[in-house]
Amino acid sequence: MTKTFEIPPRGQWLRLWSALPAAPIKALADELAGRYQVEDMALAQSGLGLMPVTDSALGDTYFIGEIPLASAHVRLANAESGQTEGAATLVDDRAGVARALAILDAVLAAGWSGADAASQLLERGAAALDEQTRQRRALLSATRVDFALLGTAGEDDDE
Amino acid sequence: MGYVAIKGGGRAIAGAEAAVEALRCAEGEQGTPLSLSAIEQQLRLLTSRVVSEGGLYHPRLAALAIKQMQGDTLEAAFALRAYRSTKPRLMDLPVQDTRRMRLIRRISSAFKDIPGGQMLGPTTDYALRLMRLDLANESAEDFRAVSRRFLDGVGDADLPDTFPKVVDALREEGLLPPLTRRAHAAFDITRDPLVFPVPRSAALATMARAETGSLLAIAYSNMRGYGDVHPTIAELRVGYVPVMLPHPVTGEPIEAGEVLMTECEVVAMYEGDTTEGPLTFTLGYGACFGHNEVKAISMAILDRALQKGMRDGPANPSEDPEFVLLHVDGVDSMGFTSHYKMPHYVTFQSDMDRLRTTQDKATTAQPQPEGAQA
Repeated sequence: MTKTFEIPPRGQWLRLWSALPAAPIKALADELAGRYQVEDMALAQSGLGLMPVTDSALGDTYFIGEIPLASAHVRLANAESGQTEGAATLVDDRAGVARALAILDAVLAAGWSGADAASQLLERGAAALDEQTRQRRALLSATRVDFALLGTAGEDDDE
Repeated sequence: MGYVAIKGGGRAIAGAEAAVEALRCAEGEQGTPLSLSAIEQQLRLLTSRVVSEGGLYHPRLAALAIKQMQGDTLEAAFALRAYRSTKPRLMDLPVQDTRRMRLIRRISSAFKDIPGGQMLGPTTDYALRLMRLDLANESAEDFRAVSRRFLDGVGDADLPDTFPKVVDALREEGLLPPLTRRAHAAFDITRDPLVFPVPRSAALATMARAETGSLLAIAYSNMRGYGDVHPTIAELRVGYVPVMLPHPVTGEPIEAGEVLMTECEVVAMYEGDTTEGPLTFTLGYGACFGHNEVKAISMAILDRALQKGMRDGPANPSEDPEFVLLHVDGVDSMGFTSHYKMPHYVTFQSDMDRLRTTQDKATTAQPQPEGAQA
């Protein structure tokens, strides 16, 4: 029996889609743009953002550096379904990818025709992220260390 | 004496550009161009240096800069800075939380047992520095099998997404001062010049994009005796910090991507006296884009040294904010050094004129030997 994929909350969609290559995202967005009227609420653009973090020693906020950002905000419309909005802001410099993600976001949020395909991409993205997580955790679990003071334990190869 | 424009040399400059490119491709028919992915993955620590010293977390562009500048980290960081200066600032970001870092490495030299455990991760700390001659003739098949073999040999691990900070445990025991979020606006070194005295946020930002060797050299001076930090690493962690931004439609925080970072807290000796409350250890903090542990540790030591210098006045170079912060930027220092290669013909002519004039005056002023006729 195959496990059914439950669509996660909207706040996680971008992360899952972003785990995939841009090509399938853009292909689906192009298809949806042919189906619905797409209006740019804000011009899709790319640029930079200065990233503030709080230092964990004294609690000062400072800028560690800049990150690339791309953002898009669209409104989709058609005669039968009305209107829906979608948006994306991602750490990337490809405004076209942000706009494609905003279109997917709008369609899936409204549950319009095309939402199934967008959901399938979410599922593929979730699988890609699971694999990434597995690889990172392997780096940790293979190197977990239990230091002992000399004379308080046997040879460490016995662990 | 100002600089004087020169003309000429256009053909030679174009020739120099072609010569540089010719050397990059000198392998000719036998060569294979470096892919950006290969640089980013196989030279990951080099890429890390460039993203942090360039001040822009864009590993792919950093890899391109490394390729273009043929491995020169200073020039690659310069290229990344030049690129960033052409891009608009898109938005103000909310403060990001490094406690949410998805770790790939986490160690403490203060405690052997820390909450969540120590994990060495990808490190050469305990490796013998012997040449691995097998890499000289590595086959593509061998290369491709390494990662798969490693993952196959490690079972699925039940690990949390995030780990508690070691300094939090020390705070709970009353060994560190409580963490208070400070309300000061962070200093933007990309837009405002450093005019001393500067706030600590300016020092942290400057060191976060400083050149690794420069930070290390000044921190090392403190370690060797021109200072008294005597650090112990409470925690050094490497991992991916999720970048959380509000969704433009819902306003809900969404993860827009992640940034590889190295972060370090060092504990230093307690200061002051008991009249000001219970004594506690003091802390230094270092962090930078990418995986660069020497840089994060050096920064943490210097942060602690600068705190002392800002409070009591500097007793040595590593405690002097002006000395440290104006001499650790690689693009600044490399640029100033390289400018000496540019033609200085008029200024040097002037120097020669002055020397000759002074020599003539000295000769004229010399006492004549006895008996010499005027």
